[in-house]
Amino acid sequence: MLRVTNIRKIYQSVRGSYVALDGVSLTIDDGEFVCLLGASGCGKSTLLNILAGFEPVSGGTATFGDAPITGPGRERVMFFQDSGSALLPWLSVEENIRFALRVRKIPKAEWAGITKRYLEMVGLDTHRNKFPAELSGGMRQRLQIARGLAVEPNVLLMDEPFAALDALTRRRMHKVLLDIWQRIGKTIVFVTHDIAEAISLADRIAVMSVGPRSVITKVIEIDLPRPRDLADAKVARLFGEIEDLLTPDLIRLDERLEAH
Amino acid sequence: MSTVYSREGRSAEETGEASAPRRWQAWAAFPAVRKLSLAAASLLIGFCTWQVLSTYVFNPFLIPPPLDVFRTAIPMLASGEILSDVTISMVRVLVGFTTGSLAGVIMGVLLGRVRLLHDLLDPIMELLRYLSPTAMIPIAVIWFGIGEMSKYFLIFWGTFFIVLINTTAGVWRAPLTRQRAAACLGASRLQIFVLVIVPSAVPYIVTGMRVAMASSFMSIIPAEILAANSGIGYLLQQSSLLLQTNRIFVALLTICVLGFIVDRIFRLIVDKVLARYMSFVSQT
Repeated sequence: MLRVTNIRKIYQSVRGSYVALDGVSLTIDDGEFVCLLGASGCGKSTLLNILAGFEPVSGGTATFGDAPITGPGRERVMFFQDSGSALLPWLSVEENIRFALRVRKIPKAEWAGITKRYLEMVGLDTHRNKFPAELSGGMRQRLQIARGLAVEPNVLLMDEPFAALDALTRRRMHKVLLDIWQRIGKTIVFVTHDIAEAISLADRIAVMSVGPRSVITKVIEIDLPRPRDLADAKVARLFGEIEDLLTPDLIRLDERLEAH
Repeated sequence: MSTVYSREGRSAEETGEASAPRRWQAWAAFPAVRKLSLAAASLLIGFCTWQVLSTYVFNPFLIPPPLDVFRTAIPMLASGEILSDVTISMVRVLVGFTTGSLAGVIMGVLLGRVRLLHDLLDPIMELLRYLSPTAMIPIAVIWFGIGEMSKYFLIFWGTFFIVLINTTAGVWRAPLTRQRAAACLGASRLQIFVLVIVPSAVPYIVTGMRVAMASSFMSIIPAEILAANSGIGYLLQQSSLLLQTNRIFVALLTICVLGFIVDRIFRLIVDKVLARYMSFVSQT
């Protein structure tokens, strides 16, 4: 179980301090698929970085299981939007997976089997000798997913992983991800600014307000069967509801930028 | 649109009118052949122009025509005179460049990684790097004499700072995302450093080394002119004292050809050994 309680995040700089998060609380159960949804600059990536252990909290607590999160941990793997820089471009597809197994100290005898299993899971087993630069954006992202899964974490933290992909590829990746999630049953925390993406994927959506002093304004349960059709009346109503929730924030963001 | 296209193609075939442009296209279709023949043409035109200008326009003593230069070069090549000078200069460059690169990479990695060391040493480095190898010749002669050591030192000096600055920049710019991703997978700090940060810096290091190689070629010549009794620079200086412009031009041409060959060899090695480190796929 991942839990953040009343966390604050303050960035200090020469120009003063910026309160990014101000009193965010959220509990994520094992095996749950939660989306953090909000406009750009709402602190959703900050929250994810705190869950990953990349950044310390300024106040409040972040825990995984019973232990406080103090740094990057092997049980929580982050998936980045820019797969090109997250992967090691000088290693082939297969070698990228092996890199993960090597640093995780998994016995060499198991490497071949694990590599095969996860490359097959994301449909890259026929490309194992290619280099990341030779793959499409969607394939690179699938490789990043396979590499993360290969070390068998309990939690997948995904920071807008499909935002840079074209719409068709993104829809395909949603299917791939849901398939994998249903098969392995791990917890997923997925950051996005795309309402449709959040609705098609999540069990729960945590809607965040624009910073400074971001908070979670609402947590929405989605009790609808997958795959979810955006044309479905219930889904469409949900979409409208979330849009209404986010719009005032966007207007406020615009006004603030204009005021400068 | 496609019908217009095919009809045009057919008419050209039928009439045979387009055979000349066709041949041109076929020739241009092999980029390597095209490039090579254009390079040959460029050199040929250059030499012809040089020959004509130095024979009819300029004083052939000041600018000897290429044919004279080649005539001078042949016995120098045959007797091994050039080869021995080239070898001497190349060994100097190689020793200075290798040690300078090695020291530059090691220091650069340290400065890129240890903030305190960087902040302490950077101001000194920033000042010292303006001392070109040429500026260091007089003191190098006093320190090391006119033997090999002073030349090694000067090439080392020129190489070290260029490689150092590039390496530091490369280590600095290793994507944070890549380091964090590796940390998540379970990599230790040492593993992140050795397996992620240093390889990420390779393109910067290679760029630095190429620039340093060019600079080594620039600085070995003045070093040998001012303080040596062998090498290409010495050949230049002796020929100048004896007013042998033909021999000066042979030496100059040798430097051109040598620089070109060494750069090609360097690139070939990089392509063969380091190719996988030289590609970027990041979106940012």
